[in-house]
Amino acid sequence: MASSLEDDVFEKLKTKADIDELERREKEINARVHAQYEKSQQRVAELLGANSTLPVTISSIRVLHANNTRRTFLERIFEPLLGANKDRPYTLEGALKDVSAATDKLNKFDIFKSPISVFIDRTDPADPSTTPTDINVYLSAQEKSRYTIKTGTEAGNAEGSAYASAVLRNVFGGAETLQAYGSLGTRTRSSYSASFDTPILSDPGLHFEVGGAGSSTLKPWASHEEFLRGGSARLKWTSPSGQHRHDLAYSGSWRQITGLASTASPTVRADAGDSFKASLAHTYALDRRDYPLLPSRGYYLRSTTELAGVGPLGGDVGFAKLDVESQAAAPLPAGAALTAGLRGGLLYPLAVGRWNPAAGHPEPSRLPDRFQLGGPTDVRGFRLSGLGPRDGPDAVGGDVYAAAGASLLLPFPRVGAAAPLRFQAFVNGGRLLALQPPPGGKPDGGAPLTGGDVARGVKAALRELRDGGLPSCAAGVGIVYAHPAARFEVNFSLPLVLRRGEEARKGVSFGIGASFL
Amino acid sequence: MSADEDRPPSRGPDVASAFAVPGPVKRLFARFPLRVYPPNGPPLRAPQNRRDPVLYVFATRRGAVAGAPSFNPGCLKWQAFLKFRGVRFVLASSSNHASPSGALPFLLPAGSLPPDPVPSNRLAKWASDAAGYPEENSPTSREFSYLGLVDHNIRRAWLYSLYLTPNFDSVATPLYINATSSAAAVRLFLARELVNAATDALLGTSSVIDAAQLYSEADDAFESLSILLGEDSWFFGADSPGILDAAIFSYTEPLIQERLGGGGMWVDGTLRQMVLGRPRLVDHRNRILGMYF
Repeated sequence: MASSLEDDVFEKLKTKADIDELERREKEINARVHAQYEKSQQRVAELLGANSTLPVTISSIRVLHANNTRRTFLERIFEPLLGANKDRPYTLEGALKDVSAATDKLNKFDIFKSPISVFIDRTDPADPSTTPTDINVYLSAQEKSRYTIKTGTEAGNAEGSAYASAVLRNVFGGAETLQAYGSLGTRTRSSYSASFDTPILSDPGLHFEVGGAGSSTLKPWASHEEFLRGGSARLKWTSPSGQHRHDLAYSGSWRQITGLASTASPTVRADAGDSFKASLAHTYALDRRDYPLLPSRGYYLRSTTELAGVGPLGGDVGFAKLDVESQAAAPLPAGAALTAGLRGGLLYPLAVGRWNPAAGHPEPSRLPDRFQLGGPTDVRGFRLSGLGPRDGPDAVGGDVYAAAGASLLLPFPRVGAAAPLRFQAFVNGGRLLALQPPPGGKPDGGAPLTGGDVARGVKAALRELRDGGLPSCAAGVGIVYAHPAARFEVNFSLPLVLRRGEEARKGVSFGIGASFL
Repeated sequence: MSADEDRPPSRGPDVASAFAVPGPVKRLFARFPLRVYPPNGPPLRAPQNRRDPVLYVFATRRGAVAGAPSFNPGCLKWQAFLKFRGVRFVLASSSNHASPSGALPFLLPAGSLPPDPVPSNRLAKWASDAAGYPEENSPTSREFSYLGLVDHNIRRAWLYSLYLTPNFDSVATPLYINATSSAAAVRLFLARELVNAATDALLGTSSVIDAAQLYSEADDAFESLSILLGEDSWFFGADSPGILDAAIFSYTEPLIQERLGGGGMWVDGTLRQMVLGRPRLVDHRNRILGMYF
């Protein structure tokens, strides 16, 4: 009997089904499923439309599967929605809006798999403690894996590295993140960091982070290796739209300038050794560009203000430092775009341990604190740190800088504007200046600086920026490719104006990075 | 020609020169940059004096400006030797990180570009060349064995006395650590590093650190040097001081100072008493200080 049944099955399998027939059936099924889906969607919409003003109160919210997440953490997010906490009932529409907003919040913590699905149910009418308007909300929030471990290799601006990183998510059930990172490379010889980050009051836009980091970086443009160890505590705020960011950090770092090349200049030798910086820094960023790596409209603004050494901060260096970066893009016909960037910075030496800039003796800036300018990602057509004051082979940095650039980006003829590939024509330039000693000269080890010297020096440097002739600049053409991870540029450029000693590049140069002038 | 000089020096070969660039293009390239201004001024901390050779030593900032004796024997030895040879130089207060060999002292000759530092083991030859002295004779075997007494017996006792006794807090810390950084964490780390380095140096030649033995060896060395000096002004009856005079002065000078480098008092005064108890060595030190500093 069994055998006859098997035969029957095999017979059936052997008979070739009519292909047209199969296709027709499949189409029919698809059409039916589609119609059903549309109908159900329509029904939901009708139901919601008809009931959008239906008064409801949320009697309970249940987050399912969130086994490792703290109840108190979730309560802060959902408590305001509960009927018991509202003086008047929701409309159904209002309730759904708030539930979806709360779900979005959960998503932003990056500890749950998306999508987080939401179910709504009427309460049991037999339960005497409920009212007819009560609904229950269920969220199915599957937690992501609690840890990620990554290793890999990276290639960047004349630099290669291998890294390993580990992330522990939702450590204490409140979306806290513990992160460790280590890398070895050719220029950044070694770098490691560890940080602990926690949202404050269950707000995905407000974070507190403490961390420590260490690194050892070769700085061939100034003939040394910088060894760094530090710790920081920071408060980070991101606007709900993600466009505005504030970051307030208190940090301390021990810098060691060591491993000098035998040809290192006296200026670098004078700064060799240890120094400790204690600072308070605020960074604000606003990004309104349509596509940050290859913008065609919008603007970007970033400012960093740092106060080091003053008042109770202490340490070995004292200064106020302002660094501003901006970029704007405007679309032109036929997919072309014009981008323009402007950057500037000022380091104002202050006396360590004092508040009053006029009191005490301000510390002249040191090598690791001064600005560097030039290179494929800022002023193109110059070598890395090719602009500004030099001492022999070394770019020794400056206290005041300004740089500006403009690029015309044209889409490739056949490829079109949709591809992340552009022709580029650019002109860019800038100045990097060091504060100069008060008139009369500052003999070595002579009288220390006064607040007045610094104020006059800064004024003179700003005047030099404005009246000191044309900025050092270069112009060129090239090709830009915006990969999702970084922007690549190959440019041919020629220097137009230079200060003696500044290192320009005649010919082809290659740039890779996330932020360009 | 002047246009060529205006061109900035480039570090590597021009990219263009890798290919055979046709003449007209080359000439076009040579026209850029179109304008060259004078150089940017150096930062405030950049050393201004480029006319004199600079000897990088451990010194207080004030001491460096005044040309006072360095508080570090290794540095003081060469500072004194250069003075004996009549070489004109200035001092820079520095740290080991600045040195190409990883240790002070070293000297940066004036106006050399690219800078070509002279480490301490080439200083004797450099000093003779600079002073136009005849080629320095390499130390005789007798001189050599007395130098050994200083570099071994006295140095080891000095290391012990300065870094592994209470002298570390009173004398070494203000000079080597507090002057480097004002941050407590950095000071703590540097202090540990210094003590470890001294311990390693002492354990490099013997398996235990025996204070009594170190001191008695140093005492023997001071005694033999005192006898060797006798009633002469300089060692071996020379007309002018030499390398052995510099070497012994580099220890007697800091030990005779009551407050080394303006810092704290000697707490463990064993070594100091050894020198003070030998008037010939004290006179020798005073003679050098009076004539050369």
